[in-house]
Amino acid sequence: MKLRLIVLIWALALISALYAAAASPRTGSETVPVVRPAADADAMRIEGEKRFRANCSRCHAAPHKFPPRMMATIVRHMRVRATITDEDMRLVLYYMAQ
Amino acid sequence: MRSSVHNLERQGALISVSPRIASILFIFCLACAPLFAQTSGSDSAVPILTGNAGFFTNVQGGKTEIVPEINPVVLVPLGDHWLVEARGEFEGDFERKNGNGPYGGGVDKELDYLQVDYIANPYVTVTVGRFLTPFGIYNERLYPIWIRSLQPEPLIFPIGTGSSDGAMLRGGFPVNAKVNLNYAAYFSVSETNDVLDADRTAGGRVGFFLPGPRIEAGFSWQKLLQEERSNAFGFHFAWQPAALPLNLRSEYARSNLGSGYWIEAAYRLSQVPFWQHAMRHAEVVGRAQQLFAGQIEEDDAEEYGIPDVNTRQADFGLNYYLADGLKATGSYSRQFSSDGNFNLWTVGIAYRFAIPLGRVGMQ
Repeated sequence: MKLRLIVLIWALALISALYAAAASPRTGSETVPVVRPAADADAMRIEGEKRFRANCSRCHAAPHKFPPRMMATIVRHMRVRATITDEDMRLVLYYMAQ
Repeated sequence: MRSSVHNLERQGALISVSPRIASILFIFCLACAPLFAQTSGSDSAVPILTGNAGFFTNVQGGKTEIVPEINPVVLVPLGDHWLVEARGEFEGDFERKNGNGPYGGGVDKELDYLQVDYIANPYVTVTVGRFLTPFGIYNERLYPIWIRSLQPEPLIFPIGTGSSDGAMLRGGFPVNAKVNLNYAAYFSVSETNDVLDADRTAGGRVGFFLPGPRIEAGFSWQKLLQEERSNAFGFHFAWQPAALPLNLRSEYARSNLGSGYWIEAAYRLSQVPFWQHAMRHAEVVGRAQQLFAGQIEEDDAEEYGIPDVNTRQADFGLNYYLADGLKATGSYSRQFSSDGNFNLWTVGIAYRFAIPLGRVGMQ
């Protein structure tokens, strides 16, 4: 009985998550950042470095920067592994891809 | 990596495995189906082969052991929201036979995770397959040899950790400008296959991260849904003060295997006023830990890799970062227990690699 209840809860949670994803605007993309005005770019880079130090440096030393398409994969992996927020992920990717 | 509660008598005690494997594969297929509808542009993420390799020499109580290991990680992004990721573990354990004979031994092979992640929205990521059990912070974040500050694992590491087969919801989002919340909730089926070994469990972890002072604190819980149906729970704490190159981490865990804690401090010598060129690459580490043994048989304790008597241990280490992803590491540990006190020396090298499996364009 408990197993059925757990399976039911999981199924509902899964369906809810997929429904939410289908209904929400596409915000999870980690494609390589587009070119921005210089002032915006500087601000984002500084904020990205700050987020990198707050999130990534808690576990490991800063790696050398990789090509942007590699960084997009690595940051997506780390978003899942370290449960970092969507905004942090975007700023860290921007900083690491510069 | 072993399942946290490896049951020795589970054959015959559980319902047949095949429907469970079929269920996992079915969920896998269901999750993978939309992948083929996704498109990816020329500027999108590229598959990567990454991971780490290391070579270590351990001397425990006067007995030398040579441990080469390689842990490949494959990351395959699909579209903008999907990621397939897997990590294998190949670890050799070579010792001298009969004290003075040639080195010999076997190679342990493990599948740590093989999972499909769907980033549903900024709040939820759905994971299905085999994944690292989210209990505390060491198993998921600090386990890789190029990341961990001390090569010997904490005494309480076997409690609640390992790998699970099933489904998980996880994510992280800001609660307000000063606090981020992260969570993971999972359900795992029982599996006795050597490669996919897992227990039937449910559990989760909740953590709060304060980006300003860089403090994280969290709670983990796990319910074993078979045999003794026991509970395990734990706390974790991490602090990285902005003014110092210092990393403080700690975990506490409790289950029927035992209970205990570890506290670790890693200090990068970048602020030392002399020999700065060399010192900024060096890191000193200290860790104190204690385990209070649970009600567990000696054979089971050996199987789980956890002491069956009360144990205390002090660890000291030195890491030197030679290049990006390459570090030399050494540590000394002293263990105290009623089974006897002994020294553990470790020296070795760890390397993290990352190779694109597609065109990456210009850097």
